[in-house]
Amino acid sequence: MKIVILLKTAITALKVNVLRSCLTMLGIIIGVAAVIIMVAMGAGAQQKVDEQIKSLGGNVFFVTGAFRQSGGARSASVVKINEDDANLIEKQVPGVEAAAPYLSSAGQVIYGNLNWSTEIDGIDNRYFVVRDWDLASGREFTSAEINRGSKVAIIGERLRVELFGASDPIGQTIRVTNFNATIIGVLAAKGQDSRGEDQDDVIFLPIKTVRNKITGVSSTNPKSVRFIQVSAYDGEDMDYIEDEMSRLLRQRMRIPVGGDDMFRIRNVSEMIATRAETIQVFNTLLAWVASVSLVVGGIGIMNIMLVSVTERTREIGLRMAVGAKPSDILYQFLIESIVLCGLGGFIGVVIAYGFVFMGNQYGIGAGGIIETQVVLLSLGFSGLIGVFFGYYPALKASRLAPIDALRYE
Amino acid sequence: MTQPLLKVRQAKKVYAMGDEQVWALKGVDLDIQQGEFVAIMGSSGSGKSTMMNLLGCLDIASEGSIAFAGQELSSLTKNELASVRNQRIGFVFQQFNLLPRTSALGNVTLPLLYSNVPESDWASRAKQCLENVGLGSRMDHHPGQLSGGQQQRVAIARALINDPLMILADEPTGALDTQTGLEVMALFQQLNQQGKTIILVTHEPDIAQFAKRKLTFRDGELINDERNNNVRQAALENTL
Repeated sequence: MKIVILLKTAITALKVNVLRSCLTMLGIIIGVAAVIIMVAMGAGAQQKVDEQIKSLGGNVFFVTGAFRQSGGARSASVVKINEDDANLIEKQVPGVEAAAPYLSSAGQVIYGNLNWSTEIDGIDNRYFVVRDWDLASGREFTSAEINRGSKVAIIGERLRVELFGASDPIGQTIRVTNFNATIIGVLAAKGQDSRGEDQDDVIFLPIKTVRNKITGVSSTNPKSVRFIQVSAYDGEDMDYIEDEMSRLLRQRMRIPVGGDDMFRIRNVSEMIATRAETIQVFNTLLAWVASVSLVVGGIGIMNIMLVSVTERTREIGLRMAVGAKPSDILYQFLIESIVLCGLGGFIGVVIAYGFVFMGNQYGIGAGGIIETQVVLLSLGFSGLIGVFFGYYPALKASRLAPIDALRYE
Repeated sequence: MTQPLLKVRQAKKVYAMGDEQVWALKGVDLDIQQGEFVAIMGSSGSGKSTMMNLLGCLDIASEGSIAFAGQELSSLTKNELASVRNQRIGFVFQQFNLLPRTSALGNVTLPLLYSNVPESDWASRAKQCLENVGLGSRMDHHPGQLSGGQQQRVAIARALINDPLMILADEPTGALDTQTGLEVMALFQQLNQQGKTIILVTHEPDIAQFAKRKLTFRDGELINDERNNNVRQAALENTL
């Protein structure tokens, strides 16, 4: 095939001045590597966000008490939110799958001669629905245990590993701060949350148990919760549900029209998605900046190809004298430029892979994912740059008059 | 009488030098038959190089006509002229004009790249040509590893690869010493005996003596066209 010979000719020509070829390629190498790395970072961030939303349990709201402002002093007052609100939301707002009350605390948990400081949370079974969290072994709370505030616990995977190791924790008694509780279940591992905290480092007890034994009962709000986590069914209108919950709570709290809410509803999935969008926009911008360096690299290629055509005018003349048509000369230089760009693109891809691999290995940045179509696109684009910026020098070469080229000094 | 290989009628060539027009050829009439060995002589600026460029299809006459093997050159496109150079003409230059980083074999193969010869035949044809010029043992050598005479023989092998009707040699001995020059001229005479038309451009009367016919140019005109009755035999002199 003639194309093989043309490729060989191009490579021979590029090998004549290795340093120059490498420097020329550098623009393309950096451009391609930068574009791929930026897109990979964007894809990595996107995937992480998707994972976070998934671990959150889908379409989730957090309902908390609002800051109460009196005079100029602000305090995070949670008095107004309680278990009844959760029941109300679940019953009356259409599209809500479950509304789980949640009370948080922290303290030390002891089993035998091992101890572990962890999060101690008060919940009921709805929490597992909202979080889309399954048990690895054992059972959930019974309604009797929840109503009575029994000393039974469901532990996270991390706590199981730290306290029990290989032995079966079900039925064992552990000491939770100041009282003993029996373990009835172990949760499946869930991994890190959006802030990088281990979600499995936790022990769950009935909400009443935690309130009575640890946080204490508030006289003004005896069924107080830290927050209510609400999950909606897939495909439900989140804005509508938010409005409905707001309306319901204002009504329940008897807030007059125009009065400030005493609660806050946050659509968490939306917040994460918004943050992801910001990251995406930023990455896209960087990718565009990187592609500018590709164009600059292309101009470098054009420059060197023009020099190369001038340097090799006599060779062009000779080739024409022995029968090369203008189109033969055009293809020769065009292929040389494409090889230069293609090779630069390939090296750029390799560097990008190395960079992303190292980044993932040592946990730099959000982690990158290189998609095959991005690689192919970059390679195709660098080839295109070769054609675009190589065409003018090649055309110039092909238009030389054989006699002038042959006599060129 | 058979049709001449080259039939030149009132060929003129004008170059623009700034605002001025310079007539490099002022109307030349010339016939060259198949199988001739012609030397074109003249001092620099005489028009001999211009004549060679026109005969070699490297350039087009401004006026007049040149027919090569019955074909009017001025009517051909660039691609057709390239094809004529490729198929019908072999060039030999003073400075050899070999590709420096390519083997002798690769250099000889070069014209085939632009021909329709199937690639499977390239190596065997190029080897045959190199053996014909006595370089069968140096096919893989690069020009830098060959002497001047050997380089010029590689160039001659390259000129022969497509079995052309005519070989155009522009000062082929200009860069060689007397001895190697004789060897090259012996090769040309041998090729001429085998039937190749050879046109030799030179300003050295000694070298022109190897040709059977001498054309002399001056100021863009053909002023003398004579048969050489005293042809030097390079092969004979070489053995002495």
